[in-house]
Amino acid sequence: MMTRRVTPDTSPLVVRPSAFGFRASFGLRISVFGFLLAPVLCLSVFASSPDSFFQSGVTAYRAADYARAAVDFRQSVSLQPASGALQALGNAEWQQRRTGDAILAWEQALWLDPFNQAARENIRFARKVEQIEGPELAWYEVISTWLPVGWWAWIAGGSLWMAVGTGYIPGVLRWRKRTWHQAIAALALMVFLLTIPALLGVQSRARIGFVLQKDTPLRLTPTLEAQAVTRLAPGEPARWVRARGRYILIRTSRALGWVEQGQFGLTCPNAGSRPG
Amino acid sequence: MSLMISQPQINIAAEPRATASFDPPIVRPGEEAFYRVVFDALEESIESPGKLAAPPQLEVQPGAHGQILQMAGGSLQPRTSFNYRVRATSLGTFTLPEFVVKVYDKPVTVPAAQLEVVAEPPATVRPAERLLLEVPVTNLVVGQAVAVRMVLPGLPGGAVQGLGQPQLSGQGFLVDLGAVRQRIEMIRHNGTTLPSYIYETMLTPVATGNLTVMAQGFTAGNRFSGPIVITGAAIIPGAPPQYTLLESDPVVLNVRPLPTEGELPGFTGAIGRLALGQPSLVTNVLRVGDPVKLTVTVTNSGEGPLARLVPPPPPRASDWQVFAASDFAPVQAVPVRQSPRVPQPGAGVRQDAVEGVVTFSYTLIPLVTTVTGTPPIPFSCFDPKTGTYADLTIPSVPVTVRPGAAPANLSAVVQGASAGETERELVLHGLPATRGRTAATLVPPQQQAWFPIMALAPAVAFLGLWSWDRRRRYLEQHPEVVLRRRARRALRRQWRILQRAGRAADGPRFAAAAVSAMRVACAPHYPAEPRALVGADILPLLPEPDRLGQPGKVVRRFFEVTDAANFGTRPPNPADLLPLRPDLERVLQQLEDRL
Repeated sequence: MMTRRVTPDTSPLVVRPSAFGFRASFGLRISVFGFLLAPVLCLSVFASSPDSFFQSGVTAYRAADYARAAVDFRQSVSLQPASGALQALGNAEWQQRRTGDAILAWEQALWLDPFNQAARENIRFARKVEQIEGPELAWYEVISTWLPVGWWAWIAGGSLWMAVGTGYIPGVLRWRKRTWHQAIAALALMVFLLTIPALLGVQSRARIGFVLQKDTPLRLTPTLEAQAVTRLAPGEPARWVRARGRYILIRTSRALGWVEQGQFGLTCPNAGSRPG
Repeated sequence: MSLMISQPQINIAAEPRATASFDPPIVRPGEEAFYRVVFDALEESIESPGKLAAPPQLEVQPGAHGQILQMAGGSLQPRTSFNYRVRATSLGTFTLPEFVVKVYDKPVTVPAAQLEVVAEPPATVRPAERLLLEVPVTNLVVGQAVAVRMVLPGLPGGAVQGLGQPQLSGQGFLVDLGAVRQRIEMIRHNGTTLPSYIYETMLTPVATGNLTVMAQGFTAGNRFSGPIVITGAAIIPGAPPQYTLLESDPVVLNVRPLPTEGELPGFTGAIGRLALGQPSLVTNVLRVGDPVKLTVTVTNSGEGPLARLVPPPPPRASDWQVFAASDFAPVQAVPVRQSPRVPQPGAGVRQDAVEGVVTFSYTLIPLVTTVTGTPPIPFSCFDPKTGTYADLTIPSVPVTVRPGAAPANLSAVVQGASAGETERELVLHGLPATRGRTAATLVPPQQQAWFPIMALAPAVAFLGLWSWDRRRRYLEQHPEVVLRRRARRALRRQWRILQRAGRAADGPRFAAAAVSAMRVACAPHYPAEPRALVGADILPLLPEPDRLGQPGKVVRRFFEVTDAANFGTRPPNPADLLPLRPDLERVLQQLEDRL
């Protein structure tokens, strides 16, 4: 559903300052003009901010206009991804019976913030209702779910350089070697080594996606006339393998096959564009 | 099997037939008529007629469709009707042409039908019969039950007939067939009081948004399904019923979701203006391990009927074992202070009208003697009138517990056994209050182009630190490098001073700067303090031929003049040295080259 947004009228921009009758000085005219323009600019910026779209979506959701709520939440997420906005988007999609989109949005909410308990329980609820299995994660992928995906890289980098720095800087600065220097270096090195599996887990989890449409055919070949191996339920997890034209090769827990790109959504949207 | 055999046989016609007609056959422009197609076949066997090829002057909208079985000669004959709402925009006679529909996989021709549109229809033509659907509240929340009624107004002569297969059609709501009541009473319709057939039931929306509800049913003559209450005079025709499918105008319900804000503990979906009675125990003096029954009544004094209430789940208490209400009683009718549940047109419903009462029962077993009251049982309801949740927690009832025959560790045994039953029921959580944790993108940092640069920035810093440390260690081992560098800086400084003094023809300053420049340029070679050097220390650093040549003379001359100025009785005129500036600069250049 398309929505049309009314932005504040910016016509004062073309009104000459002299029209307001201030002729004392050019500086005075500029300041008065700026004073009048500032609220208009602030309003126009706020009207297209992620927060305003989120609030608009909440209002539409409470009025049971789930289609509009989904559009607003999606706009908010496209401007700035946020765990709560993705959770709300999942709710709006769920209310429209779009299970695949709902589960994808909730998974993305957890991808950003694994401490979002509401999104986690919503996924469990949806999977129980729709009788859908969750993705099977390897041990290093499970570790990567303990913290937000963005944290692991920073923890790894920070701990590595802290280990290097704590071992090197005292010598350069001619500080006396102390036990705690070595303890910090060892601890940082240990943290760095522990984050490596989590980094691998993030990399491989980025290729997990979810079937979006009902009865999505899993094709034997990437062609329109291909034989369907099976049909997938919305919200069913699969792993992205590679792309060819407008088809992508995915591996589900049951089979390997091709689906159309529009029928499959990745948790990390750009993961599919990287070479495997 | 005998029961099945005793049932009348359903007569499936070998050659199904169809009839089509307009009701009424003559209408005014803009007046609605029903185009009714009737088959003597089962509904499932008929392919939907779909869109009709109507003349452009007729606006045709699909209406109700349904099936009823009528007794004919000892067997049941199916009768399926498809209604269409037709509205003509201009005067004239319009014909819906015949068309073919597949019935039992055989083609059946539906005959053509004619509708006459005139400015003034004859008085003998009655308008089409239609049902009235009355819904007292159309702004609802999900789960809020509302009493609806279908009304079939009687004929002007007082004749009234019942409805067969009455039903509410639409999506997103449940109809409680257990709450059906039917009666015949006098109601006012179109300015005339007529005996009318009323069919009441209860509707509960289960989906949000705008829901369209429509009533439909077959005229059934004197055939009533179930008991019926007749109030006042009414003529019920004895002739066989015609089984005409009637329908009402659609009613749109605006259904909102329940708010998540302010939801109270113990909410089980109860909606209405409920009030809690005083909880009562069979006895207030108990013994450990002996069960006791707690009973509490919930009364509804709101506009809507009391729907099927779900009692709150038994609470978990360390000192009590509480069981769910196994003998939960269904809604019981109580004397209603105002008889009709659905308001009459123009008449309001009293706000305090009691619509029903329900009883919750719990079995409680005290586990210790120290308790003094039953555990409170959280319960709440949503009041659609105020839009808020109301707390109806069943309060604690004071009790006295005495030791019983149960073992002393009964509490520990019971709590341990129930520890495994704590799995929470999954529910869909509502919207979050804020946008939550944000990120610039869903792509993790390690997959972004800038991350390698950012990750290697500390390496660059460490490399710089290493280079600085290496240089520092080298300089510590070679201090002459530092001395020469300092000397070069000092030489250039003095050189600039003497150049300024030369341009200003300031002889004393020029001479002092020249001597100082030569000293600082030579000091690293000894090494020595620059001020301690004399002209004889400068000369060895000049090339052999220059020592005796003009450069040597210049050096000696400058030192002589400055020494005489500092220590002599008759200071010479340093301005005489100014013409020696080019020679001095050559000397300084030679000294700088040696640094």
